[in-house]
Amino acid sequence: MLEPLLGSRDAEKALIYLHCMDEGYAREMARSLGSTFSAMQRQLERLEVAGVIYGRLVGRTRLYRFNPRYPFLAELKALLAKALTFYPEGERQVLLMSRRRPRMAGKPL
Amino acid sequence: MKTVRDMTVGELAAFVADRLANRGIRAVLSGGTCVTIYAEGAYVSEDLDFVPETYAKPADVAAALAEAGFVRDGRIFRHPECSTVVDVRSPPPAVGREPIKEVRELRFPTGVLRIISPTDCVKDRLANYYYFGDRACAEQACLVAAATEVDLSEVERWSLQEGQGALFEEVRRRLLDADGRRRRKSDTDG
Repeated sequence: MLEPLLGSRDAEKALIYLHCMDEGYAREMARSLGSTFSAMQRQLERLEVAGVIYGRLVGRTRLYRFNPRYPFLAELKALLAKALTFYPEGERQVLLMSRRRPRMAGKPL
Repeated sequence: MKTVRDMTVGELAAFVADRLANRGIRAVLSGGTCVTIYAEGAYVSEDLDFVPETYAKPADVAAALAEAGFVRDGRIFRHPECSTVVDVRSPPPAVGREPIKEVRELRFPTGVLRIISPTDCVKDRLANYYYFGDRACAEQACLVAAATEVDLSEVERWSLQEGQGALFEEVRRRLLDADGRRRRKSDTDG
């Protein structure tokens, strides 16, 4: 939906993912979104340099979230929310209904 | 002119800003070094965070900083003679959802430094406290208020606009105390 604006399908996927899930790391995001790790990593780094998102290390994993100091964050989120309403139902459900609550270690999925 | 090694942080920032300006990049100093400058060394930062007013090509930034002797190392730039690093961030210069209100020009023997105002500096530090829970940044805001005049009513307005009224209340007393110390010192000195 926003690829013409953002210039990249992977950038849109990354932003939509963070909009729905609040946070994510490159490998998980690439797997969920049907992208490659390197392409997702490249977009996440680009968005981080631009100040749109920020990353922090948790163990050896770089976890990304929206940068609350990004001056256009509210407007960007409104745009992403609108774009999401145009996503095919199946894709939207996958993004919105993915499990977020914690799961005890060792418990089967 | 002094060598980079012997420059104060203000002189070094002005030196770098001058090289950027020579390449048509009008950049504003933001971040912790503004605290170092306004609080006159009460806090020491070794990062020069510049924000261009408009988009600057990375190649132009690298060329300008190369003229100042800085070499790219990942997303920052380092100089072989000093530990201070330079980061040129993405525009626009902003504090939270708002553009910065005022840019000041400080003149040094090494050049002219464009820097966010003390009031915007306090907002900038408080933004890190509000959004990332960084208490050290709240202390830095107080150091600025203790050293130079800050429009605390503007800081309060901005905090409310950001939806951070509750956290502002937590630092209000310390900011007012810092401002009071500054006024008393000013009365004594003056």
